[in-house]
Amino acid sequence: MKKRLLFVLSFVLIFSMFLTACQPEEVEEVVEEVEEVVEEVVEEVVEEPEVEEPEEEEPVAAGPDLDPAEVAASLPREETLYIAGLQWSAVVGWNPYSSANNNAMGVAAGNNARVPIFETPYMYNMINGEQIPLLADGDWEWNEDMTEATFKIKEVAKWSDGTPVTAEDVAYTWATHVKYETTAGVGYGEYIETVEAVDPLTVVVKAKLDEEGKAVNPLLVKAYISSEYVVQKAWTETLEARAGGDATALKEDPAMDFVSSGPYTKFYDDDQKVVFIRDDNYWGQDASMFGSLPVPKYLAHTIYADNNAGFLALKAGEVDVSQQFNANVQDLWLVDNLPISTWMDDAPYGLTASLPTAYFNLESYGLDNIAVRKAIAYAVDYDTIIANAMTNQSPTFDQVPRSVMNPTAGEQALYDQAAVADLQWVGNDIEGAKAILDEAGIVDTDGDGWRELDGQKLSYNAVCPNGWSDWQAAMEIVAAAGEKIGIEITTLYPEWGVYQTVFVNGDQQEYDIFMVWSDGAGPTQPWGRVRQLMYSKFAETQGNWNGNWGGYINPRIDEIITEIPATTDQARLVELYTEATEIYLTDIPSFTLMYRPDQFYTVNESVWTNYPSADDGRNIPPMNLLDGYSIAGLYELELVNP
Amino acid sequence: MKGYLKYFSGKLAWFLVTLVAAFILNFILPRLMPGDPVAIITQRVVQGMTSQAGVQKVYEQYAELFGTNKPIHEQFIIYMRNIVQGNFGLSFSQYPRPVADILKSSIWWTIALQFPAIIVGWLLGNTLGALAAYLKKGFDKVLMPISIFISNLPAFGMAVILLVIFAVRLKWFPTAGGYGFDMIPNFSWDYIKSVLIHYQLPFWSIVLISIGGQAIGMRAMSIYELNADYVKYSRFLGIKDRKIIGYVFRNAMLPQITGLALSIGTMVGGALVAEIIFSYPGLGSTLLTAVMGQDYPLISASTLIITLMVLIANFLIEILYGVIDPRIKAAQVE
Repeated sequence: MKKRLLFVLSFVLIFSMFLTACQPEEVEEVVEEVEEVVEEVVEEVVEEPEVEEPEEEEPVAAGPDLDPAEVAASLPREETLYIAGLQWSAVVGWNPYSSANNNAMGVAAGNNARVPIFETPYMYNMINGEQIPLLADGDWEWNEDMTEATFKIKEVAKWSDGTPVTAEDVAYTWATHVKYETTAGVGYGEYIETVEAVDPLTVVVKAKLDEEGKAVNPLLVKAYISSEYVVQKAWTETLEARAGGDATALKEDPAMDFVSSGPYTKFYDDDQKVVFIRDDNYWGQDASMFGSLPVPKYLAHTIYADNNAGFLALKAGEVDVSQQFNANVQDLWLVDNLPISTWMDDAPYGLTASLPTAYFNLESYGLDNIAVRKAIAYAVDYDTIIANAMTNQSPTFDQVPRSVMNPTAGEQALYDQAAVADLQWVGNDIEGAKAILDEAGIVDTDGDGWRELDGQKLSYNAVCPNGWSDWQAAMEIVAAAGEKIGIEITTLYPEWGVYQTVFVNGDQQEYDIFMVWSDGAGPTQPWGRVRQLMYSKFAETQGNWNGNWGGYINPRIDEIITEIPATTDQARLVELYTEATEIYLTDIPSFTLMYRPDQFYTVNESVWTNYPSADDGRNIPPMNLLDGYSIAGLYELELVNP
Repeated sequence: MKGYLKYFSGKLAWFLVTLVAAFILNFILPRLMPGDPVAIITQRVVQGMTSQAGVQKVYEQYAELFGTNKPIHEQFIIYMRNIVQGNFGLSFSQYPRPVADILKSSIWWTIALQFPAIIVGWLLGNTLGALAAYLKKGFDKVLMPISIFISNLPAFGMAVILLVIFAVRLKWFPTAGGYGFDMIPNFSWDYIKSVLIHYQLPFWSIVLISIGGQAIGMRAMSIYELNADYVKYSRFLGIKDRKIIGYVFRNAMLPQITGLALSIGTMVGGALVAEIIFSYPGLGSTLLTAVMGQDYPLISASTLIITLMVLIANFLIEILYGVIDPRIKAAQVE
């Protein structure tokens, strides 16, 4: 201790001796003519940026014999498709067993699994709900009692190392998910018992059974085969060996050495961009699959700081496919005359699939009263929300009347619209809302302009995360509706980090009317959405990310939710969904404010053209040319100037 | 000699005390923010997951992994132990990327942008301010209002103006990024050129803002000094004008040096605006993402760097003062 002190002191001593050597007098001489000195330094420093070398990370190796800087110091524009709006910070990993890769352009399993690198047995097509074979050969089949789903793997399907994709790979992937408790393993564990390889090419997915011997939920079995990737068994074993059997280590592994089956692989990534390169040996060029390679050699995604930067880049022609909400998107071609287009030429421009919804907190004073909920929901001016917040990128509630369905044709066909027509309000019905309140005896008794229920003033907050500008605009309109009918509603915009720790708690008292997104399109929809909107089991749980955030309890809806997954008879399904819609529109535990696309889709045709669009009859969904069946669009792109 | 030793050891002791206090605050403050970072991660990971028990399980896995379920003093001990070993831990928001890796890849961009910009802004500003004080008349009359106008523009305002005029309208410069959107970093002339072109707008948005303020400060100080008794006395003695100006500027410069040290110390935070508006890589935007995502380890590490930079800059300035201006040392030692 003493020694150290001595050392420090002697260091300070030497240092100060050194400094004393530079006497102030000398310094004075040195700075004799400040102007000159300053000028000199100015010259020196001004030059500094010129010589400054950019500091960058070691480029991430692009493969065993591929140096991105050599292959392409600058990506040829005519071979590169630029995508924006998916990746907002640097890629972390490529591990198909991890959900924390932050690799939005490449690795994202789920309802519309992104398949440029890893592939699923089937591709989901959100337009019609079909599951189209990718690694799988032909359609999958249920056994008679819907407890086992069977499908074949294509014989031509190969891994990037040239070995064939087998049923054993599919089975081993599931076993790994379960063993290491990955998100997929935990998420599907309640519904899937095992995935087995019957022979090298035949896979059987066995559902978990309830006491009666029926599948717990056949819909989730169906979802699994188009939502989760198939990972190579041999590579998985390498990964397991590296992790030493430890679950956390396995999921934390960035998997730079991954083996995949998709048409692209990693090429370059840093804090500013991600680039994939085409695998020219991709198995899918076989005539039994796509019959060719995808057209762009590179897929690139610049990491923009915010929406606005991405928007400017789209206008500048530096982005080809934009998955961003671009306000007044039609101005890009109508006003700016840019070669930019969307899924449809006219409003709502995109294919909307999700239902941003405002939940009533049924614990808040008065919101347990159906008249209050109904009045607020009837009074809101949805047309203004759609025109202002969404700049008309949503159909109106005139065009697609409200239900629990999204606007896709597949879902709309699942309920009897005529049966619930008198329940489907369009909004901005101030007089109607007032009448509902008056009738329920909820009037202004003390003359302050606000209505009271049993003597207590009705006063609420309308909440959504700060900075989510379209949602905030919607909440303002909800608040304005409240004022018109004598219910005080003030807006509140906490930061997202705070917001999402509050609304997920069933007994929270802080938010009265608050916005949450809804499930978009997927193999379990619209069942998943009905469940999300109303399932009693979600109410009053802590850390509830699943739904029913307002705490709505209704045993009948629970029965419907239990019955739907096992129902195959179409007429019965329509009956059940119609009843669910009727309950939803009668009890109004929450109300949809607008429709919203699953992914926004704006394309720039200055370099590439022949993008999928609504009227081309190709049935390729507008999902970035990456998600589910949307990837088919990559095979049909054409250069504007070939 | 003894005076210097006492002066320096006193400064060093304060430096260490401040460092320890800042260190503790860096740990505690982010954790006092309302909200739950593990919930943010869970929400992101479980999108589309149907099983409620599964969601809970994922939450618990992450809480265990990040240790947020432990009491705060235990977390602090773990944090201290790791820091001493040079381990900043794993980022929450970019999990499982190590914090050190994130900082390493962004801090050089910030330094390369900010350091030259601050120095250039400071030098230009001070030269202009001094000239205004000395030349007066027309130069001063033009420079002063312009300086006041520019220095009162908020930093984001200047950045947006430059962006709109030179990138969006004139298209002379790119709108975003540290290098061309179609480039892969490599050592070629094209790449270096691309980096330099992307460098211009963020660089000048910082320089222009700082020139004004520096010029105003330097002008005021110089005018004050020019009217000081020693100047009049020197003139009376017939000392050459150039020599007098040397004295004047050295004295006028003292407060400006403090300003320089502080702006170098706080450059990480100052870089935020330019980095965000021009999508320029760097520590500022990293810190912002960290705060939004309640990424405790990343916030703590970034603020630790800022703290260290400010403290070191201050410490060096104090030491430098002791040398440049013996009065300060003398006053403090007494």
